[in-house]
Amino acid sequence: MTQQRIPVDLILKRLSEDADRAQARAQKAPDVLLGPLDTGIATTPYDVVYEEDRVKLKHYRPIPTDDRILSTNLADIFGEKVKPNTPLLVVYALINRETMLDLQPGRSVVHSFLNSGIDVYMADWGYPTRKDRYLTIDDHVNGYMDDMVEVIRQRHGIPKINLMGICMGGTFCVIYSALHSEKIKNLITTVTPTNFDTDQGLLNIWMKDIDVDRMVKTYGNMPGDLMNFGFLLLNPARLMIDKYVGFSEHMDDKAFVENFIRMEKWIFDSPDVPGETFRQFVKDCYQKNLLIQNKMVVGGEKVDLKKITMPLLNFYGKYDHLVPPAACELLTSRVGSKDTEDICLDTGHIGIYVSSKCQKEFAPKIAAWLKERDTHSGERYDREK
Amino acid sequence: MGQKEPGPESMFEAWMKSTTELWDMMTKPWTGETVSPEKSSPKEETPKNRATNSANSVLRMCQSAASLMNTPETRDSLLQGMNTLPEIFLKMGRSGLERSFQLHQQWMESAGRIGRRTEAYSFENLDQGIFNAWTEIYEAEFSKFLNVPQLGLTRSYQERMGRLLDRFNLYQGAMAHFLSVLYLPVEKSIKVMQDEIEALTEEKRLPDNSQEYYRMWIKILEGHYMTLFKSSQYTEVLKKALDAMEDFMMARRDVLEDLIQTLPVPTQKDMDDVYKELYLLKKKVRQLEKTPQRKGRQA
Repeated sequence: MTQQRIPVDLILKRLSEDADRAQARAQKAPDVLLGPLDTGIATTPYDVVYEEDRVKLKHYRPIPTDDRILSTNLADIFGEKVKPNTPLLVVYALINRETMLDLQPGRSVVHSFLNSGIDVYMADWGYPTRKDRYLTIDDHVNGYMDDMVEVIRQRHGIPKINLMGICMGGTFCVIYSALHSEKIKNLITTVTPTNFDTDQGLLNIWMKDIDVDRMVKTYGNMPGDLMNFGFLLLNPARLMIDKYVGFSEHMDDKAFVENFIRMEKWIFDSPDVPGETFRQFVKDCYQKNLLIQNKMVVGGEKVDLKKITMPLLNFYGKYDHLVPPAACELLTSRVGSKDTEDICLDTGHIGIYVSSKCQKEFAPKIAAWLKERDTHSGERYDREK
Repeated sequence: MGQKEPGPESMFEAWMKSTTELWDMMTKPWTGETVSPEKSSPKEETPKNRATNSANSVLRMCQSAASLMNTPETRDSLLQGMNTLPEIFLKMGRSGLERSFQLHQQWMESAGRIGRRTEAYSFENLDQGIFNAWTEIYEAEFSKFLNVPQLGLTRSYQERMGRLLDRFNLYQGAMAHFLSVLYLPVEKSIKVMQDEIEALTEEKRLPDNSQEYYRMWIKILEGHYMTLFKSSQYTEVLKKALDAMEDFMMARRDVLEDLIQTLPVPTQKDMDDVYKELYLLKKKVRQLEKTPQRKGRQA
């Protein structure tokens, strides 16, 4: 019987070729890393139109009509320059920063919205400090969010606005829409957890057992760094090893390095989460799953999903390991609205916003959906409503 | 012939005698005369100042103690006490030896398991006996010393310090356990990788590109981590590590607050009280601001 031949010679040859390539990269890398790099994020210009404590309301400057680059889909669908008239308030999660929606030119959801003619406002939750530790979900939803909605209503003289939420921000938007449905025209939720009774996601498994009272007592606010470490632990092989191996293989590529550093800037920019908000979110949502059961109480009022009667567009990612499909897909069947739509994209939690493939589907779809529902009824903003 | 060998009693007697003579000699430079009870009358008052008086009384006490210890009864009871010392040390040593034998046994058993084929993607029988043994031994034998009730004016500070040390040790154990569990998939993935390479070799499908090997390994590693993270053992270890870390942080905060209290600096607890009041005041102001608007709508 002939001995099995291990191609040691080929392996060594490839190894030496790889070593040569690695050496060439290593020689070029300092020029890239030490040279000028364009790594700025959130560069789309905006104005801060409202501030309250640490929270800011940003209004992105509209792009003049002639300067807009229309997406092919919208031009094909509507055959004219589209302009949804109702402003859109985007509410991001308290975890990480909303700058992810404006990561870089060419990968900016905000810019895509502006190109579609949408008037975009964004909630900036800022950086909570220890004095914010007593803020609850009620303070965020019925306090800060309601104040921001009022500001937009007054500025535009309209009774209702469009509302879009991302992840935990989407959960806040769902709660707000149920409690203040008279102020919301259309609701968009993206990768938004509303049903927490699932074992598809690791966070759902881990959160069931943690002693959140002890954590809040110890830390006050949930440290952003600790949460970041927890997110890295969700997939340490890819997020702590493979990612940086990939970086080392492309560190002589300026464009790659710039994109990578932008992503690193965003991903490790983690504000703390106010302690009482964290406590209620974990207890009422992750552990008791009250929201989808219409049992969650915010500000003394029960959140009834049936009161969400405005049109609802619900995005989620098929490969989302943080907010799995099972956590998102029940919402449309539990609201009172008849005009609902679920869209499941072949991507993960962040890919919806930053992958170039999804950029072509996500923002244009939202713009088209809003345009279809942006009727002019001649309603004026009535402060008393 | 027939002479009795000197025993411990006679040696002790000789030692006490020489001690007595020593105290005698030491008192002479201070007073000019001896304070030996056989040689001086208690009525004589020769010291000239308070310092000399104090020194005199101390030396008299030492002299009396030395004389008392010279009596046969005291000597016997002292010798009996000294005889029990070896027994005490033996008992402590035996207990420590037994525990260390247990640990060695655990290590030998786990050493025996190294080299056996491991089941891929299986985390049912985690070899965590060492950490559990360490924690049990620590909690049974050492923790009680750090948690013994303290006495005196500063007892609460001492107790908090003891608690800090105790929580620190428990935290170290829990984190070591957690990190060892986190490392398990790496160990398993390397073993599984070896098996995969063997299988590929037999099938003559061995890749010649190092990238392929890396991709194989990272995929195996990812799969192992996914399996581990869903296991109840992992959530248990994670919870213990988090609990231990939080206990340690709270104990550390208590000790730091004790230290900060000596400085003109507000503690975290003080600031939390202020923040709570600020929060409630702001909430009240917001409610009051909205009330006239609601009243206007109702009117």
